[in-house]
Amino acid sequence: MKRRSFLKGTLATGAAAVAVNAGLLTPSTVLAADWNKKAFGAKKTSAALDSMYGSSSTAKSGDIKLKAPAIAENGAVTPITVDASKMSGVESISILAAKNPTPLVCEYSFAASAVGYVSTRIKMAKTQNVVAVVKAGGKLYQAEQEVKVTIGGCGG
Amino acid sequence: MSIKIRMRGKIKGGIAEVKALIKHPMESGARMNKKTGKPYPAKYINTVIVAVNGKTEIDAQWSGSVSANPYMGVKVKASKGDKVTVTVADNTGGTGTKSIKLK
Repeated sequence: MKRRSFLKGTLATGAAAVAVNAGLLTPSTVLAADWNKKAFGAKKTSAALDSMYGSSSTAKSGDIKLKAPAIAENGAVTPITVDASKMSGVESISILAAKNPTPLVCEYSFAASAVGYVSTRIKMAKTQNVVAVVKAGGKLYQAEQEVKVTIGGCGG
Repeated sequence: MSIKIRMRGKIKGGIAEVKALIKHPMESGARMNKKTGKPYPAKYINTVIVAVNGKTEIDAQWSGSVSANPYMGVKVKASKGDKVTVTVADNTGGTGTKSIKLK
């Protein structure tokens, strides 16, 4: 808890100061972010989802398009694209790598006018499933795909 | 030192695809320094905000498992002339921000 308030404090002074100086953002928009330490520190996918969304029960959905390579030559840079733009009311998209030391990789929250689409590059420790979890209309949906990793990307 | 961001945006049918490349080591804190046997200290971007004309559209949280020099592609509803801003902050207090005007 201490760390979170510390983070919040540095964010408030750091990011907000930069943004305000540049006249780009109001401080409140920057402060909206509160890094979920518990979810990102979780060692299991279900625990991470529990801390992030308050539930870990997900339904499979064919409307989520998860684009990931079948074989990643370099686990440190695995391109992942999650396209849930067909779904309505997308609130959040998370990307998880189930067998990473901490599975939760990133979480994107969307305002009503944003499109449920995220493209990024993640690190993967070994061959495993990449899981995309989409929260739409208060429910969790998921899609997953196995990615074979020839060189791990988490330390060593 | 502020975090450097390169950005590009393209509008297609009322939706802008915004691509950002961020220069950052994204050190997760788990990688070992083989010489000293100690881990490299964690330094990664944990907060990313995408705003259109000053209004927050996407608010992302990252962990150290996002690749170094992260790439982020997102889509937002926008029209010509709108200002898209990406603001990032890392766990050590470093920040960076970049704006582009869509055309």
